[in-house]
Amino acid sequence: MDVENYQDLMPIILLGIVFFISALGMFYWSSKRGQLRDFDSQAKTIFTDEEPEGVVSDQFPDEKR
Amino acid sequence: MNSKSHTVSSATDAYSTNDVSVRAELSEIDASIRTASVFFTVSSVLWLLIGSVFAIIAAIKMHHPVFLGGDAWTTFGRMRSAHLNAMALGWGNNVIFAVGLWIMARLCRSPIRHGGLLLIAGLFWNFGLTLGLAGIIFGDMTSVEWLEIPHYATPLLAFSYLLVGVWGIMAFHFRKGAHVYVSQWYILAALFWFPWLYAIAQIMIIWFPARGVVQSVTNWWFAHNVLGLWLTPMALATAYYLIPKVLGRPIYSYYLSVLGFWSLALFYNWAGVHHLIGGPIPVWLISAGIVASVMMVVPVVVVGINHHMSVVGLHRAVWRSPALRFVVFGSISYTLASLVGSSMALRSVNEITHFTHFTVGHAHHGVYAFFTMIMFGGIYYMLPRLLKREWPSATLIRVHFWGSAIGITVMLVALHVVGWLQGVQMKDATIPFLDIVEMTLPWLKARSVSGLFLTVAHIAFAVNIFWMLFAAGSFRAKTAPTLLSKNNGEAFAK
Repeated sequence: MDVENYQDLMPIILLGIVFFISALGMFYWSSKRGQLRDFDSQAKTIFTDEEPEGVVSDQFPDEKR
Repeated sequence: MNSKSHTVSSATDAYSTNDVSVRAELSEIDASIRTASVFFTVSSVLWLLIGSVFAIIAAIKMHHPVFLGGDAWTTFGRMRSAHLNAMALGWGNNVIFAVGLWIMARLCRSPIRHGGLLLIAGLFWNFGLTLGLAGIIFGDMTSVEWLEIPHYATPLLAFSYLLVGVWGIMAFHFRKGAHVYVSQWYILAALFWFPWLYAIAQIMIIWFPARGVVQSVTNWWFAHNVLGLWLTPMALATAYYLIPKVLGRPIYSYYLSVLGFWSLALFYNWAGVHHLIGGPIPVWLISAGIVASVMMVVPVVVVGINHHMSVVGLHRAVWRSPALRFVVFGSISYTLASLVGSSMALRSVNEITHFTHFTVGHAHHGVYAFFTMIMFGGIYYMLPRLLKREWPSATLIRVHFWGSAIGITVMLVALHVVGWLQGVQMKDATIPFLDIVEMTLPWLKARSVSGLFLTVAHIAFAVNIFWMLFAAGSFRAKTAPTLLSKNNGEAFAK
């Protein structure tokens, strides 16, 4: 089936609008849940007891530390 | 925001808490995704080797057309498209599934549930892709760039992706801890963006084709966004995880990283129309694409500042880490490739670079020097932790790094220079076209040589991986391994 005019694309345009609104929703959600404040402590959440801050965790297998 | 309970706090850190019901160990998380990630990694490396063969055949044909010229299936058009799909969907997507899902699981601090089902996704993906590649080689490919895979193979890919996407989103859903790290934002968003792009492009171009130029607009909206909203966020997520993780130092500015993510989400999806500058589509659409392409300078500079400032003063540690050598090479390339890309979208520059080797060079700048190098780094960090084994050969890692670094640098210099010369000469009507073709020959030979460097690097990489997987008992763990953490230092000692 060939799409012959722009109105046939309406379902996709509507889907796009829903998609865009959900992106805005995510942005609102992130702001509401405190994702956009206290940046310093958030940057440290990747460190763990097993792989802590201040320790270099990767090196060539043949190099002495 | 009024409620304290909604704010991010260290009390919700699932790694450091004493509450057993909340606590999630990295090793437990790694174990939950080990089988799937190793399968995806092995698949990605096999596709990388296959894609390299297609690449070399296509590259040699550019300066030596009679090479393998006897058969229809080895013609340039098919080899070039087979190369693109093997690399983008075979290497690229498999490695994204391997590394992206692993990082997602680690940052969500939650083991992947029913990780074995991801193997089904892996089997479907690779079977679908094999069928698709066979279709391309034997003459069934579509005429649409980046969507060459014939229609009978795409449902398999879509089903497989659906499983992977759902698993990634479920990992996010079951996360522990209130904070969403910037890498999670990138991965989560990309998991939504890719199916949206792929589905709309398939519907509007293959299944219910739109008329006329709407197809080409859709085509380049899709093709450019595969780079910008799928490969780019996954590589940036990996870099944002690995750079601070390996160095043991938080990212330079977390504020900038959040700004970078949201500005990428806002601007990138408009940019693809710059591929149609000069084409028969509404001028306002092209202008909007150019504006968005230039606005991409914002997230690029932001990411650049963040990645580069995070390693300042620690260059030695970067050089001594296999993962970071590759990742930092990729980060530098991201800054350069993106700034060149933004300037290529300007009409005055584009009228020279369009339809030349410059564009091919730029594509490899992005997909290889940036995306692929970062993903190599991701594998170098991930596999020892998944398998609890050390990389068997440091020499092979170095061969891989130097082969890739030298190979891609030679290729980029050759294609950018020859592309520019070609563009300038083609605008001069007094120069016969054949003279321009002959002018390009030495540069195209240099590109073939660069392909040999890259292939040697890929073979070294593959040998190291298979050695690690199948002959791990035959070597002794070294005294200062990649797995440095004192807690798991015992795990690999034989």
